[in-house]
Amino acid sequence: MNHRKITRRTVLRGLGGFTVGLPLLEEMLTTRAHGAAIKQPVPVRAFNLFFGLGIPAPLQNEGFRGVLEPLKPLSDKLLIMRNVDQVRCDQSGLNAHFDGASGAFTATAPNGSAKSGGASIDQLVRRAHHPEGLPGNQLTTLVAGTFFRRSRISRYIHSYNPDGTIAASMQEKPRDVFDRVFGKVTLDGNGKDEKQRRLKRSVLDAVVDQYRHYTGANSPLGQTSKSRLKDHLDRIRELEQRAFARENQTGKGAQIPPLPPRSKLKHEGQADPGGQGIDMKLEELTEEWRLMADLYAMAIRTDRVRFGSLTFLAAGERIRMTGDYHYEGRKIFSFDDARQLNASGDKGCSHEWWHQFSEKGENKALRAHAHMKMNEVAYFLKALDDKDSVETNGKTILENSLITISTESGDGRHNNVKRELSGVFHAISGAGGRFKTGEIMDIGAEGIDVYNTMLTTMGSKERLGPEKREHTAIEGIRA
Amino acid sequence: MMPFHDNLPDPLKAACIFLFLAGTALCSAQQRATEGILAFYDFSEKSGKVIKDRSGVEPSLDLEIENPQSVSLSEGVLRVHRPTRIRSLKAATKIRDAVSQSGEITVEAWIHPANTSQSGPARILTISKNTTERNFTLGQDGNRVDARLRTTRTSKNGMPSTASSKGSLKAELTHLIYTRDLAGQSTIYINGRQTGRKSISGNTSNWNSSFHLSLANEDSSNRPWEGSYHLIAIYGRALSADEIGQNFRAGANAGSTELLARIRIAEQSRFFHREIAPLMVQHCLECHDTSSSKGKLDLSQKSAAMAGGKEGRAIIPGNGSRSLLWQMVADNDMPEDREPLSQREKASLKKWIDDGAHWPVEMIDPLAYKSGPNANNRFVRRLTVPEYIETVRAILGVDIAEQARKLLPADLRADGFSNTAYNLGVDLKHVEAYSRLASIAVQKMDVTKFAARFSSNRSLTQKPMRAHIAKLGKWILRGPLEEHEINTFRGISTAVAANGGSFDQAMTYILEAMLQSPRFIYLMEKQNKSSTPLPVSDHEMASRISYIIWGAPPDLQLMEAAEKKQLSDPSVAEQEVRRMLADPRAHRQSKHFAYEWLHLERLKHLNPDRKKYPAWNNLLADDMIAETIAFFHEIAWQEKRPLADLFNAQFTYATPRLAQHYRFAREQNNSPAINTGNASGRKGLTRYDLSKIPSRGGLLTHGSFLTIGGDSASMVTRGLFILHDLLRGSIKDPPPGTDTTPIPSSPGQSQRAIAQVRINDKSCGGCHQKFEPLAFGLERYDGLGTFKKFDRFKNLLREDGELVLPGDAKRIAYQSSAELMDILAGNERVAENITWKLTQFALGRPLDGPDIPVVKAIHALALENGGNYPETMVAITLSDLVRMKQPENALPGAK
Repeated sequence: MNHRKITRRTVLRGLGGFTVGLPLLEEMLTTRAHGAAIKQPVPVRAFNLFFGLGIPAPLQNEGFRGVLEPLKPLSDKLLIMRNVDQVRCDQSGLNAHFDGASGAFTATAPNGSAKSGGASIDQLVRRAHHPEGLPGNQLTTLVAGTFFRRSRISRYIHSYNPDGTIAASMQEKPRDVFDRVFGKVTLDGNGKDEKQRRLKRSVLDAVVDQYRHYTGANSPLGQTSKSRLKDHLDRIRELEQRAFARENQTGKGAQIPPLPPRSKLKHEGQADPGGQGIDMKLEELTEEWRLMADLYAMAIRTDRVRFGSLTFLAAGERIRMTGDYHYEGRKIFSFDDARQLNASGDKGCSHEWWHQFSEKGENKALRAHAHMKMNEVAYFLKALDDKDSVETNGKTILENSLITISTESGDGRHNNVKRELSGVFHAISGAGGRFKTGEIMDIGAEGIDVYNTMLTTMGSKERLGPEKREHTAIEGIRA
Repeated sequence: MMPFHDNLPDPLKAACIFLFLAGTALCSAQQRATEGILAFYDFSEKSGKVIKDRSGVEPSLDLEIENPQSVSLSEGVLRVHRPTRIRSLKAATKIRDAVSQSGEITVEAWIHPANTSQSGPARILTISKNTTERNFTLGQDGNRVDARLRTTRTSKNGMPSTASSKGSLKAELTHLIYTRDLAGQSTIYINGRQTGRKSISGNTSNWNSSFHLSLANEDSSNRPWEGSYHLIAIYGRALSADEIGQNFRAGANAGSTELLARIRIAEQSRFFHREIAPLMVQHCLECHDTSSSKGKLDLSQKSAAMAGGKEGRAIIPGNGSRSLLWQMVADNDMPEDREPLSQREKASLKKWIDDGAHWPVEMIDPLAYKSGPNANNRFVRRLTVPEYIETVRAILGVDIAEQARKLLPADLRADGFSNTAYNLGVDLKHVEAYSRLASIAVQKMDVTKFAARFSSNRSLTQKPMRAHIAKLGKWILRGPLEEHEINTFRGISTAVAANGGSFDQAMTYILEAMLQSPRFIYLMEKQNKSSTPLPVSDHEMASRISYIIWGAPPDLQLMEAAEKKQLSDPSVAEQEVRRMLADPRAHRQSKHFAYEWLHLERLKHLNPDRKKYPAWNNLLADDMIAETIAFFHEIAWQEKRPLADLFNAQFTYATPRLAQHYRFAREQNNSPAINTGNASGRKGLTRYDLSKIPSRGGLLTHGSFLTIGGDSASMVTRGLFILHDLLRGSIKDPPPGTDTTPIPSSPGQSQRAIAQVRINDKSCGGCHQKFEPLAFGLERYDGLGTFKKFDRFKNLLREDGELVLPGDAKRIAYQSSAELMDILAGNERVAENITWKLTQFALGRPLDGPDIPVVKAIHALALENGGNYPETMVAITLSDLVRMKQPENALPGAK
């Protein structure tokens, strides 16, 4: 594997003195490198980490002895929750992967092919802590992922606004994430000519004025439309920040991570040829994912991002994987899905191992795939738990943030192994000591109650699910 | 409108005479305009001190008589003998909300003034605080009517006012109407005739939300009016001259009975669509639709549901307690083996039956109710990438297609189309692209020449520059600019002037700002915050029509029609639509629809297993797209055939490569195809007559469709596509634990035989029989659409079958794929579904329950006129879905 991990040190060391006009340096300084002197409070953060296809309930019961093994090194910083049902996401007549992917982190069934039934946890936490919006130098939400199946947006996007629309556009290649977080904005005519810059600024001011009008008290628009234009206004403000950043923010030291290499994997339409699946080597997948995970973690560490979601493989992903999978020096499995399934097209994809799951069977291939997924989930979590991620309170970003880890749960009931998607899986980090960690807990409750308990604990007054529903707090998860 | 003589003593009588002459027997038969009504008082109270608002528009704005001894109430007339005040119990917020956003108002009064000497003006009706602060006042000033309207350009007191001509008001029963339209025309009509007019500029966004509505006096009780009230109506829009005549002819006694009846039906329809139909879909239709109808009860069809099942009548309208449906649900006996209904759902069901079980549609269409509440909140819609490109081209005359496609992120599909408003969000890349594209567009154009189209004045000074901006802005932003917008753009020219810049530089930067304006990038409309549908304004209508027909902005002619307020006249709107349909842009837009509807983009990424299909050539995918587009175009435009013919038309287009793939050459030996020459598009595309090639004919025999089933030509996938996308049917997921791995063909066992096993299976057959037989007729086409009579195991492939169409229990047999195509082409639901899809694409949002009756009406009207593409587009653009603005639903949690 050629991928070299991107650390904050890598960034600060500077690679080639590449400078950009964005307010990156200041945010970087608020974290550990200079944090001790500044003593910034630890920010509230919430992220949803999604992996496709789930882990069948019986395999979860094996704890860290089985497919959850890669999470073991992080076990004292996670609360793994079993026996959480998502029954209200199980909609008759809709695709179970799609239902469940919408349900993860929202506890609601989808409401259109590209909408969830309501907000996701990360977005309600954001609204609670930043009701007037985030500062212009921060992204409101970062949505990214390494995934291939894309017939429906909800398969791979996991941050939603209260109206169920996506909270941010998907960045699906490492370079996309790089551009979105660290990239320089180019505006024609925004050069060194001061007069021209001033006039360009005046154009942008006029544009901002109009968006303000249409999102303000005298707007002739309804709430839904105002909210849409408010998003647009936020993006314009971000553009302003980047395009008209002060000169002193482009000076020495404001280096950015190295520009990631071009993606070697298939993306966009080519990645999902009519649901038929694609061929992929394990190494290609993990190399791109780890680069993506590093960039996302870097965005968090530099405080460019506090809310969002990251996806490792879509709901109902279809890949014909090949390659040897090793974990801690031992070979776990040789993937060769099409040959092992003796099928081509969609029927030769790893997805089929989930169809063929048998409680009494060996499920070797499924176990290997699930183990590999947990290993990659752990990779991202560890990137927020290293020494570069220690914050002013002495804890790591992983410990200080709310990171929810889940998967599609469309058939609703985690413990009905007859269902293709019995693998409802939930784990969370401690969110700055708000939640218990270091346990595998049998919850025995609905996801909506678990999520709403998390929201209450995170200081949100908004709730997921039907307004009139009587919520049951799951006290056991609180620290 | 017919003229009336001023000296007619009794206008009501005159109205009746008019109606008699017009051949109308009864005065009362004349209907009043109801669209956009906000408050309505018919004074039908017999006693008491509260006058009810009978508009049916919530919240109700009832009035209270301050001193009942000063008035008398009888036979629908409120007589005010002595000074008093009749004031709304709460602030007139609903009127303020509607008028402040529409910029339009109509106040109608049937009154009989006590004399022609009272003045002040004496308040006939007012929404105000005192003698110096108001939103609106309609008053009597001697023998004239005086109307004061507050706008951003009039005073707090609504001055200057609009007055009727001297002597126009008499002490007799009088029909009085005041209207103000968005263009600022303020008009007074007395007895159907215009008697005063003035331009009142500005907008109504500054209306105060705390003012009450009062009759017969100022809110501060010092401008009394005496006389009789017969009827008062307030609308959130300017009624047209025809509607004013219509209301006048309806007379002073056109009470609220009919209005209330219509409102009640509308309310019941809403309740059915929001509460009952979704409940039935979720809990009942699994077992009680037309094909299942357990216990012989079909709850999906109105007539069948009312007839009942084996156990008798299930629904007794008006009596929930005696209705078997309610009893079973209340006792949790139904749904069988499923979660019972919630208490709220049970209450809704009971209320619905008790209220008469109003059922506004013939059939409950499950797909229309799949989404939950707020699924279709109306959004401003961002222009799609193609729309943006065409808008820049049409407005500025420059082509930035290449740069726009490179810089703007692609629009993603949602609910079948990539123009679905809710999914057209923006990312930083969009905002950056809009900024850069604005610069690129302006650099490409001759700004001097362009600016001169709107004014020859090249001054940077205040007055001429403002006028220039107003004219330029109206064209670029597709409608008149408001004051604050002119101020904003004027700010740029000031900055340029302050920096020693030129007029052309100012124009360049103003154009750049306009190209990034929300009014350019989004289809913006003042949204309807009231609880009743309102007509769209003429400029909004112009944009709606042009983006529906062309995917591009209004042209000059359409803008002029909007400017003259002609588009609210359906006949003018129709003329415009027909003119626009003759434009090549309409053809391009129709192809865009076909591309999206049939998801032809999918073919760009087709990647079949080369071991299974060694002869596959990626260029064939483009040939398949070209075939379908050319075929659609010919049906829609060249032949203008009913759109249902898409399923069995006996011709197609193919490149030589595709013709070879389809094995046309071999079949030609037996049934020669006729090469009728080039049609359009892809090089080498040739028209083939298929009348003698029974294996081909219609969309479903195109490679673009047949590849949907994947390499294995899955019957399940093809059948589900036909069921979902062509028949708008729905089906449940497979039960838990079902191994959905398809069984491969083997010697002696074709895919058809395997499918038959599934259909015959007790647990699978219930669903599989609904969709797999739809694909039986396609078994002879392999995964890439090549026609074969035997599979690779030498199993004979069949093309006969038997199907059940959604909403119909009858089995229909067919012997060949051609017969299957004829059945589909002749099926009303298939035809209606094309209208449904066209309507969805036109509106840029998924359709839902309340849209069903309108779509049916669109379809019926289109069919009457041939059922072809142009007529369907005419019917869509003239329908209420386009002409009217629906209230925006409240969005929980939206900031």
